[in-house]
Amino acid sequence: MKRIFIDPGKCDGCMNCSLACMNAHRAAPVPGTAPDPGATVEEQSVYTLDLTDPTNEARNFIHADGKGGYLPLFCRHCARPECVSSCMSGALQRDQAAGQVRYDPEKCAACFMCVMNCPYGLPKPDQLTRSKVVKCDFCVRLAAGPSCVRACPTGALWIEEVAADTPDLEDVK
Amino acid sequence: MKHVIIGVGAAGVAAAKTIRNLRPDDEIVCISTDREVHSRCMLHHYISGGRSLESLNFAPDGLFESPRLTWLGGVTVKRIDAAAGLVHTDSGGPVSYGRLLIATGAVSAVPPVGALRTAKNVFGLRDIADAKAIAQAASGGRRAVVVGAGFVGLDAACGLLELGGKVTVVGTADSVLPQQLDEHAAAVYQARFEAHGCAFRLGAGASGTESDPAGKVTAVLLGSGERLPCDFVVAATGVRPAVDWVRESGIEAERAVKVDEGMRTSAPDVYAAGDVTGLSGIWPNAVKQGEVAARNMCGQSAVYDDTYALKNTVNFYGLQTLSVGNLAPAGNDLVLTREDNARYEKLVIRDGVVKGVLLQGDIGNSGFWQYLIKNKIDVSGHLDNIWRLSYTRFYGLEENGEYRYAAAATV
Ligand SMILES: Cc1cc2nc3c(=O)[nH]c(=O)nc-3n(C[C@H](O)[C@H](O)[C@H](O)COP(=O)(O)OP(=O)(O)OC[C@H]3O[C@@H](n4cnc5c(N)ncnc54)[C@H](O)[C@@H]3O)c2cc1C
Ligand code: SF4
Ligand code: SF4
Repeated sequence: MKRIFIDPGKCDGCMNCSLACMNAHRAAPVPGTAPDPGATVEEQSVYTLDLTDPTNEARNFIHADGKGGYLPLFCRHCARPECVSSCMSGALQRDQAAGQVRYDPEKCAACFMCVMNCPYGLPKPDQLTRSKVVKCDFCVRLAAGPSCVRACPTGALWIEEVAADTPDLEDVK
Repeated sequence: MKHVIIGVGAAGVAAAKTIRNLRPDDEIVCISTDREVHSRCMLHHYISGGRSLESLNFAPDGLFESPRLTWLGGVTVKRIDAAAGLVHTDSGGPVSYGRLLIATGAVSAVPPVGALRTAKNVFGLRDIADAKAIAQAASGGRRAVVVGAGFVGLDAACGLLELGGKVTVVGTADSVLPQQLDEHAAAVYQARFEAHGCAFRLGAGASGTESDPAGKVTAVLLGSGERLPCDFVVAATGVRPAVDWVRESGIEAERAVKVDEGMRTSAPDVYAAGDVTGLSGIWPNAVKQGEVAARNMCGQSAVYDDTYALKNTVNFYGLQTLSVGNLAPAGNDLVLTREDNARYEKLVIRDGVVKGVLLQGDIGNSGFWQYLIKNKIDVSGHLDNIWRLSYTRFYGLEENGEYRYAAAATV
């Protein structure tokens, strides 16, 4: 499975990753222009991203570490995801083969147990309707992979292949 | 190996999923009274008409269609013969097992008040049969009295109000959701329910009932002397583990089935998980227990160690609340609160350790609080900036890229 790796030492706090995330998940076509039916999400320029539109929310967060550096918060798509164990609708499931935690908004019952159960505080209710969960989806719709990684100018984010499961999930007998 | 799982609730399905992943070639038989897999936590959405029965199914797609998995729905287990390794049910012959999991959950516990236990128009809310009965009883805008102002009571009230019913909620505590909320946060929910037509009688429980000659409850009597006429009653007065037949099978159980930290019961190869163990009454813990049992059924040595269960989220009428830990301060506890027109937040801190957190209005990105509370992490170094605390203050990376809590002093 692939995971987004983080080197906090390289993070400049530019938040290009957060902008790329917002751009990758924006629903609305470019405001004030005719929607281009041919344009893929990737072709939507970040320059037309409406930062004030509450539906354009980032799924990753950059925090100052208080010492002049920055700490990127990204969903880890954990091998044993606490968000999935708490999901009572089946909306959150871990795709074992891909090693990704998927979210199905149709199934979600907006109980927000997942928000409470992620030890790192990644999921959140959507700002506008508070009826869906906003969480990293690994940009599965995009052939090129996670937008944040492609947008990072310092190499603080990259994709690495890791073993599909942590050792404690392996058979001991 | 043949695994038999009794119950397809949170724990049973988690176990089936785990065994399927760990041992794709093993045989699994699920037996359940439930004819449909459904999440108890969504029953109010069914009552209100907001969700169909099919959409209450929380099982991973394809799990019950996977090879070497058989599901006997609508079948109730009556007895286990642990010596012979057999499960006896109410239909068909005995089912043999190599490993057995009891994941039968809990049943509504109705107090012996008036005719609440016996009348035909008094319903618990535990499964889809209850939800169907309640929805039917409510049709035509009939009057309901909901006894109990906890989670299940408010779920029932919310579903009924959306259906257009007339609802009065009765609770013994002075505020709603007394286990999850303080009075301030509770009052906000109460006001929202009242704005949707709900009436409340708090601080005095039901003390009796009046019935008609047909045995139907026609009024609920309160300790205060008040009489609440009604067409039916929802008894949301708590649950008890579903253990009667387990005890009769010679498996050690008192109020709940007794298990060790690996979810093993007193009988060899028989495990138990979920509400039936009495260790918890919430979804995430039932799932964890089901996973631990399943891993041990597959020959691993797993331990149920994430036992913390004082945690919940509340979402009614567009208002979300997160409540973890103990919100009642004692002694020299530091109590911090802040509020604005959309939020109310409270922290209870004892000797530098967070004991309880309540966030109402904006619960985004707040999962780290549970970790800090249940692991008793010292936050005394962060008190000057406590409202802006996040996981980043404990940031650490594993070699495989996962996060861990680094340099976190435990008291
Ligand atoms: C209305 C309501 C709202 C809730 N809301 C929340 C919430 O918001 N958050 C939260 O964390 N928790 C909530 N809970 C609690 C949560 O649903 C339970 O903790 C959880 O379902 C427990 O899972 P379980 O697998 O132990 O039992 P259950 O989910 O109850 O499943 C029990 C299974 O066993 C079967 N069974 C029982 N006896 C037999 C028998 N003799 N033979 C065969 N099969 C049998 C049943 O048919 C069922 O399939 C709620 C519960 C209710 C009732
Ligand atoms: S939301 Fe949290 S628990 Fe779930 S996979 Fe992401 S980091 Fe892990
Ligand atoms: S809010 Fe949705 S995704 Fe999160 S636990 Fe509840 S049902 Fe699952």
